[in-house]
Amino acid sequence: MLFNTTHFFLFLAVVLVLFYTSPRFLRRYILLVASYFFYGSWNVKFIPLLLTLTAIDYTAGRWIERTPPGPRRKGLLIVSLSANLGFLGFFKYYNFLASNLCLLLGKPPKSFFWDIVLPLGISFHTFQSMSYVVDVYRGKQKAVRDVIDYALFICFFPQLVAGPIVRAREFFRDLLDWHPPSGDDVSQGVLLVFFGLTKKMAFADQFAKVANNYFAHVAGNPGWHAAWSGVIAFGMQIYFDFSGYTDMAIGMAKLLGFHFPVNFRRPYLACSITDFWRRWHISLSSWLRDYLYISLGGNRKGRWMTYRNLALTMLLGGLWHGASWNFLIWGGYHGGLLAVERAVLGERAISDKWDWLYPFRAVLTFLLAMIGWVFFRAADLTQSRQVLAQMFSRTYGRNLLTPWHVGLILLALGLAVAEEKLNWFDRVAKAPALVYASALALMFFCLELFGVIDAQIPFIYFQF
Amino acid sequence: MSLCVTGLRRVTSITFMASQPPQVDSTPRPRYARRLVLAGLAACVGVIALDSLLFRTGFYATILEPDSSTGLFEMILRREQAAQEYSGAPMVATFGNSRFAWSAKVIDHRPGFHKYALRNAGVAGSDARAWYYMIRDLDPTRRRYRALVFGVDDYDDEDRYYNPNDDIRALHYVICRLRLVDVFEFARSFDSRELQFAALRGGLLKGIVFQNDLQAFLANPRKRLAYVRQCDRDWNTWIYDFQETTDSMVGLKIDWTTLKVTYPPGANDDQRGTVDNFLAHQPEPQIGRMAAFQRTWYGRIIDRYRGSPTKIVFLRLPRGPAPRPGNLTHKLSSSIREMAGRPNVILMDEHAFESLEQPELFRDGMHLNREGIARFSCMLEDEVTRLLEGAGR
Repeated sequence: MLFNTTHFFLFLAVVLVLFYTSPRFLRRYILLVASYFFYGSWNVKFIPLLLTLTAIDYTAGRWIERTPPGPRRKGLLIVSLSANLGFLGFFKYYNFLASNLCLLLGKPPKSFFWDIVLPLGISFHTFQSMSYVVDVYRGKQKAVRDVIDYALFICFFPQLVAGPIVRAREFFRDLLDWHPPSGDDVSQGVLLVFFGLTKKMAFADQFAKVANNYFAHVAGNPGWHAAWSGVIAFGMQIYFDFSGYTDMAIGMAKLLGFHFPVNFRRPYLACSITDFWRRWHISLSSWLRDYLYISLGGNRKGRWMTYRNLALTMLLGGLWHGASWNFLIWGGYHGGLLAVERAVLGERAISDKWDWLYPFRAVLTFLLAMIGWVFFRAADLTQSRQVLAQMFSRTYGRNLLTPWHVGLILLALGLAVAEEKLNWFDRVAKAPALVYASALALMFFCLELFGVIDAQIPFIYFQF
Repeated sequence: MSLCVTGLRRVTSITFMASQPPQVDSTPRPRYARRLVLAGLAACVGVIALDSLLFRTGFYATILEPDSSTGLFEMILRREQAAQEYSGAPMVATFGNSRFAWSAKVIDHRPGFHKYALRNAGVAGSDARAWYYMIRDLDPTRRRYRALVFGVDDYDDEDRYYNPNDDIRALHYVICRLRLVDVFEFARSFDSRELQFAALRGGLLKGIVFQNDLQAFLANPRKRLAYVRQCDRDWNTWIYDFQETTDSMVGLKIDWTTLKVTYPPGANDDQRGTVDNFLAHQPEPQIGRMAAFQRTWYGRIIDRYRGSPTKIVFLRLPRGPAPRPGNLTHKLSSSIREMAGRPNVILMDEHAFESLEQPELFRDGMHLNREGIARFSCMLEDEVTRLLEGAGR
C-alpha cells in the first residue's frame, strides 16, 4: 500500500475516523492494528519478524533498566543489539557478503546465494529499536512498561517503512501524554500530506522518468550534457521522493497527534557537505552522530581520529542504505568530503551565513552531491564509472531535461529559498482559510497537470 | 541534555492514553475542523476553476497536438463547423472510423450536378459514442444537415473479443466536448470500474487527460504552435489531396472451414494482422454486448433528431477483400434493423456495396485502397442522393 495510492488514502481516512470516534482507551489499539494491517498489506510474512524484534527489544529494555550498571547490563545490551544487527545483517547483507566471499574463494558468484526477500523498512525499524535500547542503557530513556506502547513505537504506520527515525523520547512524549492535535497541527498536517504527495507524484515521479531512462540506457545517451541531466534528474527524484514521503509521514502523524522531527531542510541549498548532512535525512544523520560517531569518540580524540570517525560513520551510513560496493563508496565519498571540509574549513564548514559567496558554495555543494548520487543510483561499479566518465567527457550529448523540467526545478528552488527566508509554509498553514485553500488548490492543480497518476512509481527509500 | 531531562520527566509522569481521565477536548476542535472542511471544499472548487479556465474555455483545444486522438477529433470538428458557413448545397455528414474512407476530391471531380455536399466527419478509431458527442456540438440546432450517414461493419450485431463500452479511447476523443453535466453519465457508459473511475476523474479534471499533451507542449511550445498553425492552414488540403495506396490483397484466400489463410505474395504485417483479426478470426461467444452498445449510442443520436428534418442513414461498409460468411457466427440480434423502424431512420441496401468486396480493391484486410475508395465515393454519393430523394418524396 503505497502512500500515493487511493487505497492508502482510504485506509488513512478509515484510521482517522476510527481513531477520533473511538473511546480513548481503544485508540492505541486502533493505531496498532492499523499499523500491522498496513505492514501486512505489503507482505504478511514479515509481521512475525517485526513482532520478534519488538519482543526482544521490549524485554531487553525492561531487563536493562532493572539491571545495575556492570557487565550483565552491558551483556543484555549486546544481546539486543546483536539480535537487531543479526536480523538486519542476515536479510540485508548476507547475499552481499556471500557473493564477495565467493569472489575471494574463486567460486561462482552465486554459490552461497540465498533467495532472501528484504523485509520492508527493516533498516528503519531496527535503527529505531536499537536507539531505544541504547537510550535505556545510557539512562536517557525509561523502559516502556506496556508492550502495546512499545509495539506501536516500532510499527507506527506513518513512519514504519521509511522513517523518519523517531527517537523513543519524542514518540513516547506524544503517546503517553497525548493531546488532540491543535488547529495549527491539523492545518499543517493536511498541508504536509498534500505537499508531500505533490512532491512525490508531480516532481519526483516526473524526474524519475528521465533518470530511469538515462540509467537504463547509459551507453545510448553519451556526452556530458546527457550524463549531468540524467544525474541531476536523479538528484531531484531522490530529494522529492524521500522528502515527499517524509512530509506525508510527518503530516499524518500530526493529524494523529504525534510530532515527528524534521527530516529535510532544503538540502540543495546547503553551502557545504557538512551543511548538506545537517539538512538531508536529518533523523538518520543525527542517529549516526549520536549512536555511532560519538560512540567512536567523535571529535574528542584529536584531529586525525575525528577524520577517521567521520569517514567511518559515513561509510557505515552508506552501507546502511544497501548491500553493495556502490553504497559503500557513496558513504566513503561523503565521509571523505566531510573530513576534507573539516580539515580545510574547520568550523567555517558549518557556517550557513548568506553572503555573496553563498551561491557559489551552494552550487559547488550541489555538484558534489550530484557526483555522489552516481554511486547511489548506478546499477554497479561499472555503470558508475561509465556515468562519471561521461560527466567529465568532452562530448556534448543530448539534454534529457525538457524546459518544463527546468521550470519545475526553478519553481522548487524559488519555494526553497522563500521557505529558508520567509518560512512561507508555516505562514500558509496559519493563514486565513482562503489563502490556505488557494495553496491546496495550487497543489491539486500541480498534481493534476504533472502528477504521474497511473504508473505507480514506488518510493526509493522503501527498498531500504 | 535538557531535552532528555524534560523527556524523562514527562515519561515518569506517565498517563497513558488508555488510563487518562476523559477530556472534553478529545478531538480536533470543531472550529478548525470546519475551517479545514471549508478550505478543502474551496480548494476542490479552486482546482476545478483553474482546470476549467485552461481546458473548458476552448483555448487549449486550439493548441492540441494535431496528430493526437483529441487533436485530430477537434480538428475535424472545427473543419466541419467551418464548412457549415460556406457550404451552398444541403449538407450530408458521414460518420465512421478508418474503414469509412471516401474521397471528396473524387466526388468533386465527377461530372454533373451534386445535389448534396457530402462532408466526412469520421475519425479513425472512433465509434458511435464519440460521434454522439461530436454531433451534439456540430449540430446544436439539429437542422444543419440533410442527413447523417453512419458506416457500420454489419447490420447484425456481432460481439468481438473487445468490449466496445470499455474503449478508453472514447475519453480521449471526446474530452474537449464533455461538459460537467455529462461527466457522470459518460463515466457510467464504461463497464469496468477502473475505466469508470478514469473517465469520471478525467471528465471532472480534464488536465489529467491532457497531461501528456500539455507536457509535450511545454517541452517545445514554439514547435507545437508552428505545427498547429501549419495544420490549420494546410490540413484540409492534405486530406483533400490525399491518395490512398494502390496496394491490394490480390492472392488472398481464406478457407472458411479451417480459417486457414493464404496471404497475398509479399503481404506485410498490417495486411496479415488485419486479415487475422478482422476476417479469419474464431467466432466469439455472443452475449449481446455490441447490440447494447449500439442501441445506447445510436439510440441517443436518433432520439436527438426526433422531430428534426435531418435523416439518419445507416450503410453497411464493404466487408473486406474476402467477406466473412454469415454462418460463421450465430448472431442473435440486429440493433440497426430494429432502429430502421423509427421515424427519420433509413437503412441503405445491405448489398449496395457488395460489388466492392474484392481483393483488388482493398489495401489490407479491412481498408479500401485507392481504386476501392474512388469507386466507393461515387457509389456513396449516388446511393445517398437516391435515398434522400426517395425519402423527400
